[in-house]
Amino acid sequence: MVDIPHKLPAVAPSTESALRVRLRRVRELSASVLANPTTVLGFVLIVAMISMAVFAPLITEANTPDPYQMPRDWGALNEPPGTDGFLLGTTNTGGDVFYGVVWGARTSLRLSLIVVGITVLVGVLVGSVAGFRGGKFDEILMRLVDVFLSIPELIFALAIAAVLGPSFGNIILALAVVFWVKYARIMRAQVLHVKANEYVDSARIIGDSGWNIYRRDVFPNAITPIIVQATMDMGHIVLVGATLSFIGLAEAGLAEWGVLVSEGQAGISAGRWWASTFPGLMVFLWALAFNLVGDGLRDVLDPRTETAR
Amino acid sequence: MTESTMPIASIRDLRIHFRSKAGVVHAVDGVSFDIRRGETLGLVGETGCGKSVTARSLLRLNPMPPGIHAGGTVEFRGAGELPVELTGVDESTLRAIRGNRIAMIFQDPGKALNPGLTVREQIAEVFYQHRADELLDDIGLTDRAGLVRTLIAREASLRSRWIERGLLRVPPLRAHRAALRRAVDDRVTDALAETQIPNPRAVMDRYPHELSGGMRQRVMIAQALACNPDLLIADEPTTALDVTVQARILDLINDLQRRHDTAVLYISHDLSLVRRVCDRVVVMYAGKIVETGPTEDLFANPSHPYTRGLLAAIPSASHQRGALAAIEGTVPELVDPDPGCRFATRCGFATPMCETTDPGLAPVAADHEVACFIHHPVPGGVGPAYEKAAT
Amino acid sequence: MQVREYLIRRLMILPLLVIGTSIIVFTLTRVGGSPIGIYLSHEMSQEEVAEIEARYHLDDPLPVQYLYWAGGVLRGDLGWSGISAGPVTQVMPDKIAASLELAVAAGIVAVTLGVGLGTFAGARRNRLPDHIARIFSISGASMPTFWFAIILLIVFWVYLGWFPVGRSTTALFTSIEHPTGLYTVDALLAGNLRAFGDALWHLVLPAVTLGYGATAIIARMMRSSLVEELQEDYVDAARAKGLAERVVLKRHARRNALIPTVTVIGLSFGFLLQGSVVTEIIFQWPGMGRWMADAVLRGDQATIMAYVLFTSVLFLGVNLVVDIVYAYLDRRVVLGD
Repeated sequence: MVDIPHKLPAVAPSTESALRVRLRRVRELSASVLANPTTVLGFVLIVAMISMAVFAPLITEANTPDPYQMPRDWGALNEPPGTDGFLLGTTNTGGDVFYGVVWGARTSLRLSLIVVGITVLVGVLVGSVAGFRGGKFDEILMRLVDVFLSIPELIFALAIAAVLGPSFGNIILALAVVFWVKYARIMRAQVLHVKANEYVDSARIIGDSGWNIYRRDVFPNAITPIIVQATMDMGHIVLVGATLSFIGLAEAGLAEWGVLVSEGQAGISAGRWWASTFPGLMVFLWALAFNLVGDGLRDVLDPRTETAR
Repeated sequence: MTESTMPIASIRDLRIHFRSKAGVVHAVDGVSFDIRRGETLGLVGETGCGKSVTARSLLRLNPMPPGIHAGGTVEFRGAGELPVELTGVDESTLRAIRGNRIAMIFQDPGKALNPGLTVREQIAEVFYQHRADELLDDIGLTDRAGLVRTLIAREASLRSRWIERGLLRVPPLRAHRAALRRAVDDRVTDALAETQIPNPRAVMDRYPHELSGGMRQRVMIAQALACNPDLLIADEPTTALDVTVQARILDLINDLQRRHDTAVLYISHDLSLVRRVCDRVVVMYAGKIVETGPTEDLFANPSHPYTRGLLAAIPSASHQRGALAAIEGTVPELVDPDPGCRFATRCGFATPMCETTDPGLAPVAADHEVACFIHHPVPGGVGPAYEKAAT
Repeated sequence: MQVREYLIRRLMILPLLVIGTSIIVFTLTRVGGSPIGIYLSHEMSQEEVAEIEARYHLDDPLPVQYLYWAGGVLRGDLGWSGISAGPVTQVMPDKIAASLELAVAAGIVAVTLGVGLGTFAGARRNRLPDHIARIFSISGASMPTFWFAIILLIVFWVYLGWFPVGRSTTALFTSIEHPTGLYTVDALLAGNLRAFGDALWHLVLPAVTLGYGATAIIARMMRSSLVEELQEDYVDAARAKGLAERVVLKRHARRNALIPTVTVIGLSFGFLLQGSVVTEIIFQWPGMGRWMADAVLRGDQATIMAYVLFTSVLFLGVNLVVDIVYAYLDRRVVLGD
């Protein structure tokens, strides 16, 4: 049987340097990321909220001695939003909701950066070693992963945080213990995938060292899903963290959104909606923003999700 | 013309475009041809030349959007029926034609059969859709009135909702439903038997993945020919099959076509296949027809440089294996195409005017038309010629 | 036939995973401190404390303590729940029933809404309903359950007064027997329609709260797998047969799109378990989740262990069931096509 020859791909000889190729790729990527309006919305939200966190001391005067504690004005209980000096009202213990919203952003940024930082680091390390070395270590890791996955993450974090005792530091610790597994799994899968690919074999035949293979072939491939996951987790961790502190695992009076929602809960039957509504909205927006961007990144970075048409 | 000599379908100046990120793609750009009653017509060209889009427009299967019907008509004249202009017809008339008067078999039967439904269920749908009245007749419900008839009629035409299907499981209705099923089963069995499937009763209850590729294509054919259509569109019906099975499937289609006097439109990029089975051939290139003629004539006297190139690419006794002449260059972009001949960029005989003026189809022999200035007079200026360039 | 082997293997691994989980959590809870506190009172003497310590094996090394605990589990003894002042096994059934009722209601909400919305959006790809559904499902994954619950409370309980809080109206609750602990079922068994309506009424807000996240996930999966299915050749083939678009969508595309969605329905069960903690706290629903939260805040280790055990068994069990259903639905899996 004879087929009419399909059109030949036009292969232009590559004259660009590796660095330039990479730069061009980054430019192309950011262009296609920004082509999606929901991703842009996510970006804008992230920039706004991170600025709020960074400039918190400029937006509201820091409480002394501990700025992460809510200031209490016992003379202004249950003030509705718009009251002089209390833009978003006060709680039933005189806490300034606006202060909580602003400094809560700082608390959340701290939480998510620390947890994502630790979990990515540990996960990538453990996953790489497991994927590369294989054998016993890998076996143990995989069984551990199975165990970790056999219970919903919030419940696991709840149990751990409970044992450690109620404090925000312990929430951070609990989340770190629960979340690193994901990264280890992604990393290991990527290492195995790349290891199975031919081009690594040929690299080995040519005589590259293991570290070079890792640096050149494994890492750049694995980094994509890690970045997507980390972006989403920046939001997700604040969501889970706020849930834990809402349940009561953070110190009372902390300027944190979950704590504030919990504090405001008492007033809603009396119609005082504001103390819970605003900080909760912040948690939602925070998670939403990172989800939108993570989603957009995945669409662009992961060729598998590209649809045919 | 009398009805028997009228073409079964006439496509006139059909233009179908697609919106894409790069712009509007002129996938089919002014295509005209006829399909005659009972004939086998081959539609050939490279991947992406618009042959599938053209054929699919006979069933209005091109997705709109992103597709745009940018002009032209597709007229269909079913046996003993008034002509219908398919591009503008309403949904229900169209559906009465689809699968009934015009049917289609697809390239890969493994993908074109629903993996989740049995063979019986899939072929039965055709009868339910187009032969509901006859089915009611079969089970003697035609003259009945009332709820029983209504419910069974709705079931027979695939219109029943879950609550009605529930009712149909309750005794008085249950017997009627069983009778309906038996009536459909008989027809499904017959349809399968037509395609020489051994033991059709057993095949009926299989899922597509349990059948071989050849068997699946037979099921596909049985389904397509279930209602005795006037026109069968076969979109590369054998490319996904083993070589040994291909010949048998082709013979089968040929045999059924002769028996039922069905016209067949073969879409293919396999010229040796086209030469073997087709009465006439239409060659498309980049959204336009470049040459059309009776198979014998076209293969004996290929007149368009593109057709010549294609035929040169066919291995024959005189060629050595591996010494096929490929056509140089690539198909032009179909986004905002140039006004001239689309083949000009790859044509060894092109002159400057080929790039600016579109040569329309013009006859070179009886029933044989070509779109090339080599063969018809040039409106002022020097046209291309084989002799000059050959030196 | 590989499927069967795979499932049998999964079934055999399941208890190992449960043991693994319980070891980790047990170790963690004991590291956090001895649970002896809940057995003590102020007037106990030193000897009495030592006696209690010995009775509950709290003076043994950790692995031995775990073995005592595991042995107890096997004998049907999950320990003493300090916060409920009773044996765990005695308190648990009622809590499970309450949570089960809520989870089933939320599951019904999530599956029907999720599949419906996903189908609606997928069939109208890149048109307005699709964009709205996309916003809905992305916001679903970002929605803090505790906040969503409070917003619902503020709107439907405080301002509109349409729905109540809690699990039932006391007068109606006491008027009927409760053989199953599922109030809706109990009311139907008693033939008391008012009690049934009341139980259902109390279910609405918590079920919507709990089901929202899962709805979003299911809708999203349903949408994307439907879009994928709609691009398959068999859909065009079905259209070429002359079938109505409704039949093509429901009988052909949606059926196949449901297969991958089943997996996600299983996954979103984890969502229900997590969400139940917060939902039950806010709506004062006396189920497992709220029990766990109480236990966590008051260091009741026996209750925490019981909850973790229950959750992981349930979670793994549901995932196994999902695998079985998936293998059954997707006939292509059987022959490894």
